[in-house]
Amino acid sequence: MSTLKHHPDTAMLVEFSAGTLEPALAICVSAHLHFCDRCRNELLRLDQVGSQIMSQSEPSEVDEQLFDKVMAQIDNLPEQTQNPKPARSNYYPALVEQLIENTGEELSWRKMSPSVDVARLKTGQSDYEVALHKICAGGKTPKHGHSGREFTVVLKGSFSDENAVYTEGDFLLKEAGDEHQPMGAQNGECICLSALAAPIKLSSKLGFLMKPWLRINPI
Amino acid sequence: MLDTKITVIDESKKCMPRASVISTEKRSDRWSLLLVQVGENRDRKAFAQLFSHFAPLLKSFAQASKHDGWFPGLSEELVQEVMIKVWQKASGYKPEKASATTWIYTVARNCRIDMLRRKSNTQHLPLENEDFWHEPDEETPVSLLRQKRSEDKVQASLEQLPKEQDEILRKVYLEGKSHAEASEELGLPLGTVKSRVRLALQKMQILVAPEFRDELI
Repeated sequence: MSTLKHHPDTAMLVEFSAGTLEPALAICVSAHLHFCDRCRNELLRLDQVGSQIMSQSEPSEVDEQLFDKVMAQIDNLPEQTQNPKPARSNYYPALVEQLIENTGEELSWRKMSPSVDVARLKTGQSDYEVALHKICAGGKTPKHGHSGREFTVVLKGSFSDENAVYTEGDFLLKEAGDEHQPMGAQNGECICLSALAAPIKLSSKLGFLMKPWLRINPI
Repeated sequence: MLDTKITVIDESKKCMPRASVISTEKRSDRWSLLLVQVGENRDRKAFAQLFSHFAPLLKSFAQASKHDGWFPGLSEELVQEVMIKVWQKASGYKPEKASATTWIYTVARNCRIDMLRRKSNTQHLPLENEDFWHEPDEETPVSLLRQKRSEDKVQASLEQLPKEQDEILRKVYLEGKSHAEASEELGLPLGTVKSRVRLALQKMQILVAPEFRDELI
């Protein structure tokens, strides 16, 4: 758990803590936090910074009726039902499970290459395409470059590229212009969550076959 | 543990920090205990005390917002919404994880963002902001003591930040500006904004391992 090597940078965690991170990226950070107690710890302290800044500010007088208004609303609250959300498998981070549920029947795995399947997730965001990627055991993906930023969090299994091995919870950012050739681990399939900002450029011969799947297409 | 550490410090240095630790612990305990009472016993008197302390702070937090689409009329609406959420969610509050102040701040932050999203017609996020903060069932390994001491430290060190670092943290946390927006407003390169935030956090010893983080991304 705490052996993760690849984390979101401080700026992302700060924006996540302050609530200003773009939702698609916040989804990736949230998935990483599920696996990483080190970043959860750091987030807790960043939240403390926010809370201390809030509590040091000059209190602002509130309408004297406000308390009664709030109590009246509390009295009219419907009976609290115990956790109305359905029990989840806990296989994926809760937020990812929820995105899968929200996507519902529209969730479909498509072949992107002989060894990679992709399923888009519905997030209502137009700037990023959020998707699950599945690389089969030992699967080799075509070498590709990125014309926009891509954030990836490993949810299950592991994969490697020229730079490193990425295991469950690892968080990677590929900047525009970065090239890499991910390979699934031999011992089982690898599932990743990704947020992609713009179309990927393929640099291998087979590339043109895959283009239709790689075009950014948020749902 | 605190005591054994303090006994090795000489007497003259002992009094000051210890006194401040105790007073802050008492203070944060007070709100946290009240919140626990609200959660466990639906205690209205405890809730009224929380309300009179936090509602004015929440209102100024709301008024500080410089988000696009935020307007002054939303401030008391936010206070109401947050306090109702506090009542509803209090039973899930775990004092060993966060002080009442931090917990209520996170409720307020999430409400503020959700309120903005509801008012805007351009975003159709099928998620509430609190959904991003689900925690796995296992406990975050933060002991009660460390938790309180770090909160103390945060408060004290905030007051000692140089003006430009204090200003940037306020922009980020109170006004709700992204780093990119802050850079535009201050007329500073994005990298400068990021490093200013990081310097402030390093000074406050918020970052787990700054030397490790610097090599990332």
